[in-house]
Amino acid sequence: MNIPAILFWSLFTVAGIWLQGAIPGVDFLAPGLVLCLQEEKWTVSAWLGLAWLFIQEGTGSLAFGTGLLWYGALVGLYYFGHWLFEAKNFLFMFILGLSLGVLHLVLSHVMAVLQDWTLPADRVLVEGLLQALIFPVEWGLIYLIYNHLPENSHAV
Amino acid sequence: MDALASYTGLEFAKWVLAPGKWTASRVSSFWDRYVYFVGLREENDSLRATLAEAAQELALLRERAAEAERLARLLTIRPPVGWSRQGARVISHRLGPNASLETVLLDKGALDGLMVNTPVTGPDGVIGRVLRLSPTAATVLLVTDPNSRIPVTSQKNRTQGILKGEGANREMAVQYVSLGAPLEEGELLVTSGLEEIFPKGLPVARVTEVGRKGPSLFQTVYAEPLFDARRLEEVALLAKDPEGRDGAGPVPGEAMAEPQDQKPGADPVTHTPSPRVIPPDPSGRAPGLEPPRPAAAPAGERRKPARSGP
Repeated sequence: MNIPAILFWSLFTVAGIWLQGAIPGVDFLAPGLVLCLQEEKWTVSAWLGLAWLFIQEGTGSLAFGTGLLWYGALVGLYYFGHWLFEAKNFLFMFILGLSLGVLHLVLSHVMAVLQDWTLPADRVLVEGLLQALIFPVEWGLIYLIYNHLPENSHAV
Repeated sequence: MDALASYTGLEFAKWVLAPGKWTASRVSSFWDRYVYFVGLREENDSLRATLAEAAQELALLRERAAEAERLARLLTIRPPVGWSRQGARVISHRLGPNASLETVLLDKGALDGLMVNTPVTGPDGVIGRVLRLSPTAATVLLVTDPNSRIPVTSQKNRTQGILKGEGANREMAVQYVSLGAPLEEGELLVTSGLEEIFPKGLPVARVTEVGRKGPSLFQTVYAEPLFDARRLEEVALLAKDPEGRDGAGPVPGEAMAEPQDQKPGADPVTHTPSPRVIPPDPSGRAPGLEPPRPAAAPAGERRKPARSGP
């Protein structure tokens, strides 16, 4: 990974954390993981995924493993959808966003039940909707920015 | 001839000179005005810049004054005997997709002496307790979270119950209040200290509704928290003093003492009150705090939780 890419992913991570503070319950780093899987080597995706996993687990209040299931399911959904759709198709990203929205509901509910906790269903539902809406939009935005990096000028 | 010369030559010269003079006068006047306006414009720009700087400085000073007022209110918290206090800033509210509980993030952590279940209070009353820790940050579970339960006692009638959060911007429910137990609307609920996490007598909530519903053996009681989570900026952290000295003096920034009876393995969210019975405070006054003010958010803004008998 060269300097512009390192800078891009660092800024993306910082911006993602700030946005997560602004809109709680939404993962702003997930679109980055998908873009990374599409554009970078798998080792880069693995390292970034690991770093973001620890960020999500550390800042969250659910038991450890939720983030692992969350990103694991995202990667699984991506590779599964990869067989059916063009990887950089916006429709695929839209479906992936919807899947993440549903996954947020299911995962939050399951983890809350396992930990004998109560979560406000209306709030989790709104968070799932926001996740489904934000994911494809953010992916499209960072896809454009990433492909305008100096090393990717051929892709513009 | 002289007159003719006057009437012709002089008149001609006048008609030649006069327009020139008029033009020169106009040009001169225009130039003067232009120069004046340029100066005025420059002066205006300079004054605008000065005004912008003054406005910025004023905003900064107002922000500092507001912060000083908040910190001064925070310093009015007098820790109960045997407890010490340190301040912390709220740096974020719920963060990330896994932040399912009502929490805030503080800028103090394990290196500052914090532990899981360290009590967190504000100028008006209890805010929550530490849920997770990192070396320099901590996540605080707010008392308004549906998973937070605190044994409380009403300040005036000494009626006991369990205060349960119902979520953000919702009133809290007081569970297990016997039918015959006296409790009044507007009465302050203070910590009973039975769970051995919070010191006894800290204000937590104010009763808003007392009633009875269905065949339940308990009263239906609702209470509003004494803080507005959206406006939290600074909080105070309480810690048991290992030497048992009077913690009345403010100790801002001082590392907190490790609580003696802290149970590291205890579940930070749910805890069972100890069977130990503490007699009611005869003074009826919270030992830790000044008389609390009403919550920042009007009670009308809070939603009633779904009615379900305990």
